[in-house]
Order: sequence, then C-alpha cells, then structure tokens
Amino acid sequence: MKEIKKNSIRVLAVLFAAVSFYLLYSGFEKIISVDLPVSLALSQPQAIFAIILSLFSGALAVGLWRLKNWTKTAISLLSILLIIIFAVSEIFNFSTIVFAGESITPLSVIVSTFGKSIVNLLLNCGIPLLLIIGLKFVDEIFLESETQRFIVDKFIQRALVFVGSSSILVVFLIFIFTFIESSDAILNIGLGELLTGTVWRPGYIIGDQSGQFGLVPMLLGSIYSTIGAVILGVPLAILTAILLAEIAPPAVREVFRPAIELLAGIPSVIFGLFGMVVLAPLIRNFEIAGNSGFGILNASIILAIMILPTITNVTEDAIRSVPDSYRHASLAMGATRWQTIVSVVLPAARSGIIAAIILGIGRALGETMALIMVIGNSIAIPVPLDNNPLTILLATTRTLTGNIAVEINYAAGVHRSALFFTGVLLFLLLLVINRLAHFILREKQPS
Amino acid sequence: MIKDIAMIGKKSTVIDPTRNLRQRKLTQNIAFTFIWLAGLLAVAALLFIIYYVIKNGMQVIDLEFLTTRPAGGVSGKGGISTTIVTTIYLVILTITIAAPLGIGTAIYMVEYTSDLSGKKGFLGWLVNTIRTSVEVLAGVPSIIFGLFGFAVFVSYLKLKFSLLSAGLSGACLVLPLIIRTTEEALLTVPKSYREGSLALGTTKWQMIFDVVLPSAIPGIITGIVLSVGRVIAETAIFWVTLGGSYRLPQNLLSSGRTMALHVYMLASETRAFEKALGTSAILIVVIIALNLAINISSRQFAKKFSGK
Repeated sequence: MKEIKKNSIRVLAVLFAAVSFYLLYSGFEKIISVDLPVSLALSQPQAIFAIILSLFSGALAVGLWRLKNWTKTAISLLSILLIIIFAVSEIFNFSTIVFAGESITPLSVIVSTFGKSIVNLLLNCGIPLLLIIGLKFVDEIFLESETQRFIVDKFIQRALVFVGSSSILVVFLIFIFTFIESSDAILNIGLGELLTGTVWRPGYIIGDQSGQFGLVPMLLGSIYSTIGAVILGVPLAILTAILLAEIAPPAVREVFRPAIELLAGIPSVIFGLFGMVVLAPLIRNFEIAGNSGFGILNASIILAIMILPTITNVTEDAIRSVPDSYRHASLAMGATRWQTIVSVVLPAARSGIIAAIILGIGRALGETMALIMVIGNSIAIPVPLDNNPLTILLATTRTLTGNIAVEINYAAGVHRSALFFTGVLLFLLLLVINRLAHFILREKQPS
Repeated sequence: MIKDIAMIGKKSTVIDPTRNLRQRKLTQNIAFTFIWLAGLLAVAALLFIIYYVIKNGMQVIDLEFLTTRPAGGVSGKGGISTTIVTTIYLVILTITIAAPLGIGTAIYMVEYTSDLSGKKGFLGWLVNTIRTSVEVLAGVPSIIFGLFGFAVFVSYLKLKFSLLSAGLSGACLVLPLIIRTTEEALLTVPKSYREGSLALGTTKWQMIFDVVLPSAIPGIITGIVLSVGRVIAETAIFWVTLGGSYRLPQNLLSSGRTMALHVYMLASETRAFEKALGTSAILIVVIIALNLAINISSRQFAKKFSGK
C-alpha cells in the first residue's frame, strides 16, 4: 500500500516536471521568437512569468519526488487559492448576468446561468480539488525533518511580529496622513481662526479661495447633541444596567441582554431613517415658527438610543464586578435591596460607570451618518427659534463628523484641508476621551 | 455608606421599626418600578424600531425589488440587487484582508508574548504599543477611518473610489474587533491542551495550528461574524471611499454602493422613504440573523470548556 502511494506521488512529480519543462520551453520560445536584443526580450512579462512558474513547478516536482512535506503544504495552498479565484470569478459572472439588469431576469436565464457557473466551477476546480483530496489521502508518507519544523516555527514567529505590527502601522498612518493633509489649513487659515471662527463658508461656491473656515458652529452642534443624548440616554442606560445586573430574574435577562446587543448592531442609517420618518413628524407637532422636525432634539433622541448599549454593557460589567460579599454585608445589616444598590453597589462600581458614560460620550461624538440625516445640516450656530430658550432644541445645526462626511467628496484645496483638520480635532478629542475611559477602567481593577 | 446604615439604626430606635421597614420597602418598590420601566422602555424602543421598519419595509419587498438594480439618478426607482451583491463583495473582501492580520496579531499577543507585556526591551515595548494601538483603533470613530481611507487609498495610492479602497478602510475598522475576540477565544483554550501538545514533541507553531486554533475556532468565528455585521452596518467609511455607483462592480477597482449606503442615499438625496425602509428591513433581518448565530455559537463555545 505504501509503495503504491509513493509511486502515485512520483507520477505526480513527473507530471509537475513535465509542466515545468513545457513552461520553460514556451517561455524561452517567446523570448527567442521575438526578434529583439536579449535585454529587451527579457522584459516580456508573459515569458518571464512562464519561466518563473516553470522554476516553481520544477521545485515542486523535485520536492514531490523526494516526498518533502513542504511540497504538500505548497500544493494544497495553491489549490485552495486557485479554487477561490475560480469561485470569485464565477460569482462575478453570475451576478453580472442575473443581478445587474433593470428588469427581472427570467427564471430560465437564472437557472441556465447557475448551471453553467456550476459546471464551469467543477471543470476548473476539479484538478485542484482532486490534488487536495489525494494529498490528504497519502498524508503519512511525506517526510518532515526536525530542522524543517524548526525553520517553519522560527519563520512564523518572525512573521507574526510584522503581522502584529499592522495595527500600529494603521494608527501611525492615520496620524501621519490626517496631520499632513490638515497642515495646509493650519498654515493658511491658522489654528485660531479654525477653532474660534464662527462662520463656515467654503469658497467653492463663489469659486475663489476666500472661504471662511470657522469650526465653532459644528463644535457647538456636536456638543449640544451629545449633551442632549447624555441627558436622555445615560439615566435610561444606567437603570437598564441595574435591572440586568441586580434585579431582573435570569429569564428576563436572557431576553433583554441579546436585545441590547442587537441595538448595538443595528446600522446607524436605520436609526437616522427612523428619525426622519417617525421622530421628525412628531417633533413638527410643536407649533413654533421654523420648526422643521429636524435638529438637536431629534439628534439627541436618536443618539440616546445609539449610546445606550455601550453605556449599559460597561455599567453592567462594572456592577457585576462588585464582590457579592459587599451585598451580603449590606443586606445582613438590614438594608433593603434598593438601599444596597444605591449606597453600596453603585458607589463601589462608580469608576466603571463613569468610564461607561465617557465611552458613551465618545460614541455620540463619533456618530456620523444618523446625525446627518436628522440634525438638519445647516451651517449656523444653533440659536433658540423664539423667546423661549428651550426652542434651541429645535434648531438645525451640523456636527463635526457630519461636516466631514457631507463635504469631503467634492472638497478641494484649503477646504479639503480644513475638513481634514476637523478630522484631526475629532481624532484627538476621541483619543483623549477613550484613553481617559481606559485609564479609569484600569485603575479600578486592583481594588 | 456606613454613615447611612448607622443613621438607619439610630432612627429605628426613635420611630416604629415596622413602619420604618414599610417605608423603606415602599421606596424600594417605587425605585424598582422605575428601573423596570427604564429597561422595558429600552427594549420597547428597539422592538418598535424593528417593527416599524419591517412592517413598512415589507410593502415594497418583492422579487422585482430584490433582483433589479436601482434606476439611478434621483428618481428613487428600481430595486436593490446590485447593492446586495456589492455588500457581499465588500464583506468578503474586508474579512479576507482583516481576518489574517487580526488572527495573526491575536496569536502573537496570546501565544508568543503574553509574558512580555509591561516588560522592558524592544519586544516589551512592541507588545505594549500593539495593545495601545488596538485600544486606540477600537475607539476611533468610523468617519476617521473613512477620512484615512480617503487620504491614503483613494487619493494617495490612487485606487479611486473602489471596492479595494473601501475594503482596506473597512478592514481597519474591524481589525481591533477581530483581534479582541480572537484573543479571548485563545485565552479560553485550557493550558493543558498546549502542554499536552508540546509534550508530544511538536513545535510551538504545530501546537498553535493543530491544537489551539481548532479549539478556538468557534470563538474566532464569532469575532468574524461580528465583523461581518459591522461591515454590513457601516456607512460613513463607505460613503467616503466606495463612491456610491449603483451599478454592479466589475472588478476590485470599480465603485459601488452597499445596502446601508443605499438607505442613506434613498432617504437623504431622493426622499424615497418606502424603498429606504424596504432596504432597511432586509438589513435588519440580516443583522438579527447574525446576532442569533453569534448567540448560539458563543453559548456552545462557552459550554465546550466549562465542563473542565
């Protein structure tokens, strides 16, 4: 049996060798047939590719003949790669025919296209698939020396250092690129004007460069809507967390926790859409001149729902991490469960709750698309609509995030740079906020 | 806290203890009612949003809606077929880029350098920096990733508004998520598994690849499914890197439009709310399905090692 397996592998090796010679021949033929100096002929990409493939295939053939383990791995990986490439191209073909039209594709076309795709896939993937299965079947006859295993081990350990550094690279690139892109704005407009200017009027409309780039309206828009979200959302979120961690029976928790998690997963555009089609008409019921239904109130309600899962989850964790002995001691003193929660558990979980609120604020400041949809997007400092100062809630405005998203796709020059500066500002703000939250959470651990 | 309890003791000597207890019970009942109301309100808000979107969305969903492309322009007509396909492409692309990096980083952090964090020297510094970077990335709002993708991939590398730009930017978004969930999954694999493997004479990599990773697969898949949900739900990044063409992408460098992006464009630019609700309904159903899958798989994963 072992001999048969060995011999079949050697047949495969001969096949690979044959492919290698063929590729070598065709590659050189191309180079020779072109009536050019050798140096130019060598720049024929197809020929070079064929020769490289030939060398690779030759190496595989030698490896297979000598029953080396690495050839098995290499061939399996290559086969998987081939299968993926074929599958992807078939999916592209299939969807182009079936889904790209403006009218319904007839069922017969769908079925026939699907059939064709499957047949194509089987024909193309047949050989790689057979190779993988076959190699799995004769797995045990491949040899692997101690040194090889050692080399692989070391190589992967080194390679993982680079893989692991990828997140450092991303953070670094975000810093570098946003700062470089915003330098133009800092130099030409000036930090003072950017941070204290109250007018945002990019020059692109007039076509000159005399735009004004003050970020105060957006800063205020972000701050107001975040404050609104905190006022509405934080009590709700913390009470929900208390419910989940302390009061609710397990059966209720089993239902509520996934619901809160689901809330975190719902796309922000759906919240925005909800604000547009449900909340805006409701808010429009306030009979005040200039009330469009969009604005800070709408944004705050939507944001409050969106930050709820963040705050609830972190708060619940904080409450749960309070040792049970605290609760037992308090209850043993004759305190009711509510007294225990208020005077023992919540104070003990205080830092975690603060961190939760900070994280919620971060989430609110960073939210983009939902806010664009409900806040009205006017580029003005929000002011009360009439004498009642509360009507400021109905004023439309724009957030820092929204400012970037709305304008970046067509901005150029200083305008674009000013938008990147908005991004830098937001990035630094959130960096501070998140570091603060992590710092508080970490401080809490030892106690 | 101690003062409060002392106060209670003092009072009870002055006033009738039963009455005092009754009062405290009353306070508790009122407070608990509010807490229950808050919890119910939170869940009710969620249920109402889901109900509203699905009920109103169902009215426009039919075969034509699902299998024809948007008509384009500001008409708001047509179906959503190309946006569904683009979403699937983008999810596959993003995960293909992010998963190897994320899982590799997590393996490096848990298996190779878990004893190095907080230590001095280059590797110690590196490990701490990676950890900080992952935390920073997790807190960066998506519009910043969008801005970054716009600056680096769209403009600097000249990939234009394309699937590739969007996939690369999206990968940055889900990278911390995959790293974190994979790390957690690896940490739940019992130490005895590793010791058993090493004792049989395997190298460290063989131990990781043949023993630790297969045991941690359910946890890793949970992380990947979570990332799929994030990519499907994400709009801001793709708004500034994907372009928004309603046609089907022909290759990695063509522009496209995801379902979430389509919702935004329908609602904000063409005011076609019915179609936007229809698209949202499909999105919500997909997200609910993903969440269910995560719940089931993570519960089974927890069960797997809890018996030890």
